[in-house]
Amino acid sequence: MIRLENLHVRVGNFDLRDITLEVPKGGYALIIGPTGSGKTTLLEAIAGHAQLRAGRVFMHDDEVTHLPPEQRGLGFVYQQYHLFPHLSVRENIGYGLRQPRGNGPRPADRVAELAGMLAIEPLLERRVRGLSGGEQQRVALARALAPKPSILLLDEPFAAVDPATRQVLRRELRELHEREGITTLQVTHDFDEALRLGDLVAVLAEGRIAQSGTPEQVFRYPNSAFVARFVGTGNVIAGTVERTETGDGPGPFRARFTGGSLVLDVVAEREGAIHAVLRPEDIVLSLTHHSGSARNHIEGRVVRLERIGPVTLVHLDVGRPLIASLTTQSVEEMGLKSGIAVIVAFKATAILLV
Amino acid sequence: MTVRSLVSRVALAALGALLVLFIVGPLLRLLFFGSPESLVEALRDPELRDSIALTVFTASTATLIAALLGVPLAYLLARRNFPGRRLVQGLIELPVVVPHPVAGIALLLFLGRRSEVGGALGQLGLEFVSHVPGIIAAMLFVSAPILVSGAREAFRSVDPQLERVARTLGDSAWDAFRRVTLPLAGRGVLAGSILAWSRSVSEFGSIVILTYNPKVASIYIFDRFTTFGLEAAVPAAVILLLVALTVLVVIRVLQPGERQ
Repeated sequence: MIRLENLHVRVGNFDLRDITLEVPKGGYALIIGPTGSGKTTLLEAIAGHAQLRAGRVFMHDDEVTHLPPEQRGLGFVYQQYHLFPHLSVRENIGYGLRQPRGNGPRPADRVAELAGMLAIEPLLERRVRGLSGGEQQRVALARALAPKPSILLLDEPFAAVDPATRQVLRRELRELHEREGITTLQVTHDFDEALRLGDLVAVLAEGRIAQSGTPEQVFRYPNSAFVARFVGTGNVIAGTVERTETGDGPGPFRARFTGGSLVLDVVAEREGAIHAVLRPEDIVLSLTHHSGSARNHIEGRVVRLERIGPVTLVHLDVGRPLIASLTTQSVEEMGLKSGIAVIVAFKATAILLV
Repeated sequence: MTVRSLVSRVALAALGALLVLFIVGPLLRLLFFGSPESLVEALRDPELRDSIALTVFTASTATLIAALLGVPLAYLLARRNFPGRRLVQGLIELPVVVPHPVAGIALLLFLGRRSEVGGALGQLGLEFVSHVPGIIAAMLFVSAPILVSGAREAFRSVDPQLERVARTLGDSAWDAFRRVTLPLAGRGVLAGSILAWSRSVSEFGSIVILTYNPKVASIYIFDRFTTFGLEAAVPAAVILLLVALTVLVVIRVLQPGERQ
């Protein structure tokens, strides 16, 4: 278990603030955020490499805030791997293993076990120089896992490998995580990775946690325009909300959202400046007006089609850009192509106001 | 290749070749000036042998002291950001720009009997002027910057993240330094030390003011030249040159960076 309470770290002019987060024992959490949002600084703070201005760090109910890195019992895999260039692969993996007193497990056995798990036995006698990105990644992972840490920190572990290797490594990492039961915290800038790997995701923006929750929650219900844009929830439109329903009782009310030339019927909980988030899969396209339950019908034009296997993203112009996601089959049946005029429809309840 | 680029290449090569010839020419001339017999003959002179032994001893001692005090400083300069770092860095490089006789005079004033420091050390039995410690002090003064900057660059070339990785793998700060940074920077530190050593061996200007006698090799050569003339100075000069060439070869072997 990792628990962070109100961490505040300053590196140069950059502040990482109010970081409160808990990763349950054996959990797999992802920190996502754009470059410069403080992800790596956060990992360094947890590892004990960065000095805290405030806040506390707990590991398995023990406070480790003031412990040096070597006493925290964690493994750390860096983005650039940082293998020791003067040592062989075998020596790298065994670096953190101490010769046991008495009849403990031998370091050589643990190295062999990890090399087997990660399929790097043929590399053991090699020098680090000349290993491919994927190979270095595996060695770095084996080295971090060798001392059996109860916590594993991963900094963009797949950033420097090709997409095919990335997929394999992702699967292996998830399996390793389940087998070794390590509480894992991984940093990534890729929300896809969070959806695939994490039980918990925290979005970091400018040194603060913008939102945290299950990947599903964060993706479905982003709490800000920043998160919505970052996790790729879809169309984010800035505008204002005015109440259209009379009476001012508590709870949601019907309202009108105005964003530029776009006027939408929405269900809102507050008035004023706001962002409307509209998921591409909630948008319905048709060639003619027809009635239905959808409150919003806008005239638009197809700009271009982006086919991704069975799904096609339809880029629309409705006075502003909008993206709809349809099955490729529907796109073909409707005969959609760029330049065609369409009716864009969606329900008032499909619009998330953040 | 166009004629123009060919001409410019030839011109550049010719300019460079001139300089190389200017450096190699005199040294070759010196190497082949005396016969091997004259070298052997010169080495029979106990005074020359003593001066070489004294040079090796004093230069090694100065290098050892410079390493002991300078390697930790080099590490600090390479890794830590502390107030006054740039100032310290500038101060440590000062001896490089100070003319050597000026350094000799400054050391004489500082370590001489009449100064407070020199007087106090003299009370403890440590005499500098016209004594061996004076030679070591002069050598330390001129060679320490070379060792510190060599070691500093060696430490700087080691990725500081590697120590952090070692820490997360259970190493204390000292263990991480000993197991990772030192082995990786070791060759560079050693190369810097050898360069400092050879700088000590070649020192003349400050030693001649501080301690003329006993004579180190450079002063012995100067003395032979002024007392007996050119030919008498050559064998000792050749021997010192051979020592310098050996050092150069060793340093080239130690520095892997420049090999293709």
